[in-house]
Amino acid sequence: MKIKYIYKYLILAFVAVILGSCTSTEADQKFDETPLERLNGRKKELNDLLLSSAEGWKAVYYTDSTQLGGWTHLFKFLPDGKVDMASDYDADTAVKRSQYDIQLGSAVSLVFTTANRIHLLSESDNYPTAALVGKGYLGDFQFFYYGQENGEIIFKTNRAFHELRFVKATAKDWTDLPKNTPIIKAITGEITSPLFRVLEENDGTAIKKYEFDFNPTARFGTAYSLVEGSEEAFQVALSFTPTGAVAKPAVVVKGQKLSNFTYDSVSNSFIATGTGGVSATIKYTNAPPRLTDDYKKLAEGQPQFVIGYLSANLYTASTTSDYFKSLSAKVNATLPATQSLARVQIIFNNAVNGTYIQYLFNGGKATITHFVTTEIDDVNKTIILTDDGWTQSAAAVAFLKPIDNELLNVKGLYVKKENFTITYSNPIYTVTSASSSFRMTTYQL
Amino acid sequence: MKILKRYKAIAMITGTLLFVSCAHEDQPTESQLDYSVRNKTELDKWADANFLDPYNIKIYYEWNQNLVDNNRYLFPPTVEKVKPALEVVKKIWIDSYSTIGGVNFVKKISPREFVLVGGTNLNTTGTITLGLAEGGQRVTLFQIDYLNKKSRPDVTQFIHTIQHEYVHILNQTKPFDEQAWAKLTPSGYTSSWYIYSDAASRALGFITNYARLNIYEDFAETASIILTSSKAEYDAILASVTDATAKANLKKKEAIVVQYYKDNFNIDFYVLRDEAQKNTDFVINN
Repeated sequence: MKIKYIYKYLILAFVAVILGSCTSTEADQKFDETPLERLNGRKKELNDLLLSSAEGWKAVYYTDSTQLGGWTHLFKFLPDGKVDMASDYDADTAVKRSQYDIQLGSAVSLVFTTANRIHLLSESDNYPTAALVGKGYLGDFQFFYYGQENGEIIFKTNRAFHELRFVKATAKDWTDLPKNTPIIKAITGEITSPLFRVLEENDGTAIKKYEFDFNPTARFGTAYSLVEGSEEAFQVALSFTPTGAVAKPAVVVKGQKLSNFTYDSVSNSFIATGTGGVSATIKYTNAPPRLTDDYKKLAEGQPQFVIGYLSANLYTASTTSDYFKSLSAKVNATLPATQSLARVQIIFNNAVNGTYIQYLFNGGKATITHFVTTEIDDVNKTIILTDDGWTQSAAAVAFLKPIDNELLNVKGLYVKKENFTITYSNPIYTVTSASSSFRMTTYQL
Repeated sequence: MKILKRYKAIAMITGTLLFVSCAHEDQPTESQLDYSVRNKTELDKWADANFLDPYNIKIYYEWNQNLVDNNRYLFPPTVEKVKPALEVVKKIWIDSYSTIGGVNFVKKISPREFVLVGGTNLNTTGTITLGLAEGGQRVTLFQIDYLNKKSRPDVTQFIHTIQHEYVHILNQTKPFDEQAWAKLTPSGYTSSWYIYSDAASRALGFITNYARLNIYEDFAETASIILTSSKAEYDAILASVTDATAKANLKKKEAIVVQYYKDNFNIDFYVLRDEAQKNTDFVINN
């Protein structure tokens, strides 16, 4: 009997296996084509699409609109994997050629496979803010294809997965791109441009002011309300056009979304206009948006107060303006190679000598002193210095005029105790001209 | 036995069915994968003729995210920069080893893939990764876009990366005397090597700060620094070390390197160094 059972079970198992193999493995086809056919089709579809636009494509690439602005790129795809490209990343808006590829991975993607303008946003060692060390401008150059809508190609960026749309470019887009450069220059400013920016919202009846802290390299700014006690702040990411700037997200004034800021060269400002007198304006100002009363400590009758710019420590301070640096270079250029400006000290209200500016030098040159009288302007919150004689002849001090004239400018100086220190624990005071972009960083000595 | 007969019959029938069921299989058709290769550019042809055909080294210069670290902000090289950089590699690295080690030396032992990256690989610690060697198979070279062939410091730094990675590859084929090496400066190794200067590291018997990472990097750095320096330059480095123990250790390490090349590859290391220097001069002056 035993063998019989063994056979029985064996046959049973065998039949089960055979019958099992008859089970239909035909999967229910949801698509007419296999996944691979579909991917290949998609690949061809994207390539045909890219080649289809005679004047190519335009994409304004906001890499991360929480900390960076947008860069305008133009692409013209050519057969055999070549692509012509231009961007407004910097003043070089010329068209350059490189290679592209449609790659098949988890999805079909467009990859710019050799370096061109778009790769400038992905240089680990070229970053606009300290937070982006090693990350550049957070740019991608591989974009996943997500289809098309109204003639636009929808992509998602490789790392951040942000949507990026390619819009059909026109011949005008190509000829207009270089015109972005002067606009960018206008908002970036030059060394003589005023140091501060404000953003003004006009709702038709009243103007609300914001201090606009803008980083031109990052194309990104934050607006802080200047209303006493207000904590209100909002971020503005900008991209540029031949006529102005585009804000993302839009600035909202009285329910109206304002995003197109037009550059007005007469007032050197960017104005976005809505309806009913509503507008938003970004403009420069020489006067700091937030004025302090620190100038009062220096007024006549106060105890002695000494501040000093030490070139060895304070030249590189972020608050030392480029204009000041250029003037200090001008002064140094007149001196022999072994000598240079070491310090600019202002002694306020000395018991014996009153108030005076001292210029100290490296390389053995004797100190030069300029006596001044002071006067305070409580309306504009400045202190005004007026000439009261030098310790040396006019000819011997002429080379100091670039800096000295700024310190003695008729509108006076804004004085601000800063909330940071540099190298030493001495408090930092900045001295800013009310009529130019001169700002000197000093230690309280 | 009746039952057995019946089973036999059943087995026969099912067996037949089994074979019959095989008769209607669909035969595989041609692959749907796209194997077509895009028309090769002049550069592709040149790279094939100079690296792939003679040395079985594949050059990747077009971006492929699978070959690089996607967390880094890197970019592919500019097409025009690829050939000059590869010429430097060919002349100083391949030609030197081929001349001194024999024509087949690099053909036998070499990385199989070179990945070229245009930009700098800046780490969050502020250090810069100049090159990577993965499993002895793939070497990644950065900063291709910034290489100036006429600048000796540029060329030296660039070729140092390859020489360094190649020493690793040689080590993977033939290990060096790790025990003897480990006894020389055991206390100086540290993972935070980058906070020290080269000078401070030399005072401890390490040729560079990076050599302090571990004995393998130490060996590769010692060998590659000698290979990328002239005799006078290397002597100057040694002369700058005042600590007698450190200097002695540097010399012992040098001796192990020289012995390693002699024993394993029958190469006179100093002759190889001189050849590399000669080729470096050629690259800079042409």
